[in-house]
Amino acid sequence: MPLSSLIYMKPGRWAHHAARYARGWWRMLHLGAVALVMALSPSTWNRANRAATSRHIHASTWQVLPWFTLLTALVSLVIIRIVLVTAQSYGLSRFALEMVVRVLVLELIPLSAALFAALRAGMAFDAGAMGLARAGMPARLATEETLLRLRRDLVPQVLSNAFSVLSLAMASSVVVLLLAYLNVYGLSPWGLDDYTRTVGRVFDPVITIGFVAKTVLFGLAVAVIPSAALLETLRHGGRYRSTVQPGALRLLFVLLLIEAGSLAVKYI
Amino acid sequence: MAEPLPDEPKHVETKALILLVAIGALIVAFFLYVMYARGVFQETQTLTLVADDSEGVIPGMDMTFAGFPIGRVRQVDLGQDGKVNVLVDIARADAKWLRTTSVFTLERSVVGETRLRAYSGILTDPALPDKAQRPVLRGDATAEIPRLLATARTLLENLEALTRPDSAIGNTLNNVETLSGRLNGRYGVLGTALGGDAEAQQLLQTLRRVDGLLAKADTRVFGKDGVIDDTQAAIKELDGLLLDARGTLQKVDAVLVEAQGVAANTRTATQDLGKLRGEVDASLRKVNRLVDEINRKWPFKRDTEIKLP
Repeated sequence: MPLSSLIYMKPGRWAHHAARYARGWWRMLHLGAVALVMALSPSTWNRANRAATSRHIHASTWQVLPWFTLLTALVSLVIIRIVLVTAQSYGLSRFALEMVVRVLVLELIPLSAALFAALRAGMAFDAGAMGLARAGMPARLATEETLLRLRRDLVPQVLSNAFSVLSLAMASSVVVLLLAYLNVYGLSPWGLDDYTRTVGRVFDPVITIGFVAKTVLFGLAVAVIPSAALLETLRHGGRYRSTVQPGALRLLFVLLLIEAGSLAVKYI
Repeated sequence: MAEPLPDEPKHVETKALILLVAIGALIVAFFLYVMYARGVFQETQTLTLVADDSEGVIPGMDMTFAGFPIGRVRQVDLGQDGKVNVLVDIARADAKWLRTTSVFTLERSVVGETRLRAYSGILTDPALPDKAQRPVLRGDATAEIPRLLATARTLLENLEALTRPDSAIGNTLNNVETLSGRLNGRYGVLGTALGGDAEAQQLLQTLRRVDGLLAKADTRVFGKDGVIDDTQAAIKELDGLLLDARGTLQKVDAVLVEAQGVAANTRTATQDLGKLRGEVDASLRKVNRLVDEINRKWPFKRDTEIKLP
């Protein structure tokens, strides 16, 4: 339940709702931590879990990666051309490549990868929840044991979603870096030194760590927040509507928060 | 869950593994490339540039030589002496371009980034040693702006003073306007030069009088029985006088020739007189010797007085 709903209720119930709200966030963090710990524990990686994770990775990454990369390459190509032509017309072409790398690789592609993975994950959750309901488990009557089982089943999905964001972002970034080179220097190999230098100038340690951290956090947010929201909904017996992905708003909020924080750290 | 579901695609685990390995390799390659681009695998030597102002200098910016980046700023800090120390990493392969006599400049333009440049005039000088410390010359285009503004302001004030209605140039232009008005008037340049139309009119009257005077003078001088005719007669008389004078002078010339002949004769006579005198002198000496001889031979006479003849 969003925090802003506090203004529509009696002040006496504020504390109760605020506590519930805080608990929601805490459970989300807890689920993320559990998923991370399970991912890093060798005992988790039994055959069943491996197969489940493989299936999720296949669905969330293998099937999506070519199309997403192609789409990103097309959009990026348009943006690169616009930036290059504009920069050339103002005589600032030596800043164009740096701007392309900064805007596309560092900011737009991780964000779009996260949003794309979130959309994809939302659809998967919907299908999963519907399957759960079909299996005869009314959401309203979910018990602790069921939630534990669900959490265990969700962990491979969480991991695969995080991996999906990372893969989409990395593959698209590399493709965009190649496209940027080809657009600026053509097929000639003589621009490689200059290009490498520019990339080196952009990716200083702070920016690189920020880029990696942002991508990993995007992955975790996309993986954990919808799962946690689904669990929360089942736990409190709330009505689950398949048309609305649980935790979508919270996910958007967190993604924007991460992006804003990353920008603030880099440029302020 | 270990059994494959009926609708599961084939080789899911293999595909997932390929994906994991591929993405892992991509991430590792990306990091290696970034590290290479940052010069992590490059051997470097350090150079400390000392500047007064670090504005525009950021870690990571390039130092160029002849337009080619040869070094990268690693650190910018403020020294104990209040000077800015800019630590530059220079690739060993490119360090050959820097010599002990190299000059380093920090140029800041109005638009665009600050540029750190190295210039080596004499490439045969000794190479720049590692951990060298050099001053950096600063060329700041924006630093010139206040001075430029001050100059421009003075210029504009002067221009304003010049273009005021009561300024010298304004008055001059008014005078020029009056002048051009007069030039276009009835008496034109004449009126302008004399200061008014009345004066020009007077001058014209004077000129007319002078013209009449000249006509009269023409009659008197060049007319019949004029001054010129009299002058011609006088000249003819003068011609006759000159002929007479020429005859007289020819006579004087003959007299002078004769006088010259007399003088020549006199000179000859004078030369003969010299010879005569020599002969007289010789005779006298002979007589003298004769007298001396007689005196010696004349024993009774002891008078040593010599009597000249």
